[in-house]
Amino acid sequence: MSAFFSPFISKPEGVSLIMLKVLLALIPGIALYVWFFGSAILISITLASLTALGTEALMLKLRNRPISPFLKDNSALLTAWLLALSIPPLAPWWLVVVGTAFAISISKHLYGGLGNNPFNPAMIGYAVLIISFPLQMTHWITPHGLGQVELGFFDQLDYIFRGILPDGLKLDAVTMATPLDTLKTQLHMYGNINEIMNLPIYGHLAGQGSEWVATGFLLGGLYLLATRLISWHIPVAYLGTLFITAGLFHLADPAHYVTPLFHWFSGAAMIGAFFILTDPVSGPTTHKGKLIFAAGAGFITYLIRVFGGFPDGMAFATLLMNICVPLIDAYTQPKVFGKKGRLSDKNGGQA
Amino acid sequence: MTAQEIKDIFYNGLWKQNTGLVQLLGLCPLLAVSSSVVNAVSLGLATTLVMAFSSAAIAPIRNYVPNEIRIPVFILIIAVLVTVIQYEMNAYMYSLYVVLGIFIPLIVTNCIVLARIEAFASKNTATASALDGMAMGLGLTAVLMVLGGIREIFGHGTLLSGIDMALGESAKSLVITVIPDYHGFLLAILPPGAFIVLGLLIATRNWLTLRAERKAKAQQTASQTPQAAIA
Amino acid sequence: MRRTLAKASLHSALNLLFFAVLGTIVLSSTYLLTRDTIAQSVETEKLKLIAQIVPQDSYDNNIVQSTLDLPPDELLGTEETSIGYRATLKGEPSVVVLQPVAPDGYSGKIFLIVAIRSNGEVSGVRVVSHHETPGLGDYIEVAKNPWIKQFDGQSLTNHTAQDWQVKKDGGKFDSMAGATITPRAVVKAVHKAVQYFAKHRDQLLTQAPPSSPDKSGREGVKEKTK
Repeated sequence: MSAFFSPFISKPEGVSLIMLKVLLALIPGIALYVWFFGSAILISITLASLTALGTEALMLKLRNRPISPFLKDNSALLTAWLLALSIPPLAPWWLVVVGTAFAISISKHLYGGLGNNPFNPAMIGYAVLIISFPLQMTHWITPHGLGQVELGFFDQLDYIFRGILPDGLKLDAVTMATPLDTLKTQLHMYGNINEIMNLPIYGHLAGQGSEWVATGFLLGGLYLLATRLISWHIPVAYLGTLFITAGLFHLADPAHYVTPLFHWFSGAAMIGAFFILTDPVSGPTTHKGKLIFAAGAGFITYLIRVFGGFPDGMAFATLLMNICVPLIDAYTQPKVFGKKGRLSDKNGGQA
Repeated sequence: MTAQEIKDIFYNGLWKQNTGLVQLLGLCPLLAVSSSVVNAVSLGLATTLVMAFSSAAIAPIRNYVPNEIRIPVFILIIAVLVTVIQYEMNAYMYSLYVVLGIFIPLIVTNCIVLARIEAFASKNTATASALDGMAMGLGLTAVLMVLGGIREIFGHGTLLSGIDMALGESAKSLVITVIPDYHGFLLAILPPGAFIVLGLLIATRNWLTLRAERKAKAQQTASQTPQAAIA
Repeated sequence: MRRTLAKASLHSALNLLFFAVLGTIVLSSTYLLTRDTIAQSVETEKLKLIAQIVPQDSYDNNIVQSTLDLPPDELLGTEETSIGYRATLKGEPSVVVLQPVAPDGYSGKIFLIVAIRSNGEVSGVRVVSHHETPGLGDYIEVAKNPWIKQFDGQSLTNHTAQDWQVKKDGGKFDSMAGATITPRAVVKAVHKAVQYFAKHRDQLLTQAPPSSPDKSGREGVKEKTK
């Protein structure tokens, strides 16, 4: 096997630069995150990054692959950042470690490593965590200025690593449900959007604070578009479908279905549209395929958010559409004259 | 029957043709009830009993049943045996019966039972067939036990929880807490956990087999050409 | 030719018949042998759940056989006739067991069993079945968390209507941060069950139990064949 290595070694260098730019594009969103919710997110990003690099090195060693070129390709870091950004910043340290290690080892390396994973590793990590530890996954930090108390950096560190809050404080006082989750529970109990939107946790379009974080990710996404690191197909199809579906429901019954803009600026919609669904490995290869893939994800996100049992649907929508990728690819591959086996041809090229 | 034949039957059932890891037959109940050791082993043993008795019952009558109706007759016999076991569990291990629920009657439709009858019992003597059914069942039980054990440790941090359902209240002291104050990794208990752990078990088995083959090959070449081995 | 075909068919039919008869004999005899034990197991199991919430020294009758048919009631959350049980000590009614339903759990109905003493105090509550999210709403199960024991000893006299809520809504009952819909539903259902008891106290305590031991014995068998 080792004879076939050489072509791979040159590959990670190109990947490395792309990944670095994607990481840079996440920074505006992260900066706004810190501004509104405090620095806890930096702790979990660091923790996830270290775990990702450690797991990556261990898996490469177990698989008898060269460690350093793959470790430097930054793809594990991107997985770590995306995962850390999708779980509550105050989550206990082991939650971050378990999720990241699972994402890297099982959903990436067991499928053959970078380039062969059928599912988005960060979203697998998220799915594992929300299914296994739903309680810890609901402890979101209350945004700046809304809660009675705010935790300092060291208090946050204390809570993440030792599970201890300052004297007399209860978790309820510093955490809250996400804007999407609150919307769902409030609708369940009282059921009128106009009253719910007057709650202090809601801002201009969506959640107080979190709407700005989403805007930050939108900016980063526009940078990715401008530098042609991603094509317009996925973000446009995803956000478009989400907008149209949410818009139709909102028009039909504005008292029970929120505005499409609320859906755009809530949860993982923005980061998903530009950073998660655009993962070239687990997504389709053709432009037409990308449109179908992202539109499907947008539609499923809406269904899960509004009718499903989970507060956000982005992760499950991504994973469900990941499963469809081989099918989408098979039907959208351009016909090559004189060739019959489109499928086998493509697989050969990828391997 | 020679000792070698008996040994072959058991080697086949427990390792070479293991139903859970190699033949991959009858996985539905295997995945559904293997969330704890007690559940897993109970269903495994119930299946083993059915397999051993149905193989033993069918082998002696195989020449008297017309070929065209052999499947209905076999299924009838299996169904009778399963129902008897179901009644007995309902009477004497009621809480376990409630936990295993629909999966006890479903043993009838477990393809591994009929598969062994068609493949083995309809061609062999009663003793050999009974042993084959038992070996196959025990192979399945062993996989279920490991699967249930891994899922229970990861999911709950315990082993043998619920043993009192099978052995009575006094057995409660047998429950082992492997990890105290454990948060519980729910994924391991839920259906995806069953698939992931089974996948890892199959991979481990394949790895062991490959390693053994490679070793055997290396030994063979070494004994044939001693020089090559030195080089 | 036709004759051999007929003969073969007859042979097959007889063969099948033979095994069917044999199977029936084996099954019927097992059924007869295990019938009584099964009925007994079903009853002990039921009693086990009730015994968790009715103190052993507060009754001397066979609770499982002392049933009350309760018509559907908004306070019980029931849409069909539900069964209540009455515990008596030396002929005096001591505890009534109700089976209310909480209709507003996070994922559907939560089925409860609530024991109330003759003085209106809750003796104990258990969850019979639910579909709440594993790891989130399932701390209402006594096997996972002692949360449900908070109800022991509570009544309409020592708790006001305001108190019969989770702490987050200004009441006296704990709930876990991040999972409040489930406990809300359970607190509400238990509160209503206590109100139901207060409203129908006399009937629940004195009405003659309609079922005879013979009938419930047969019920046990029916249960099994389901």
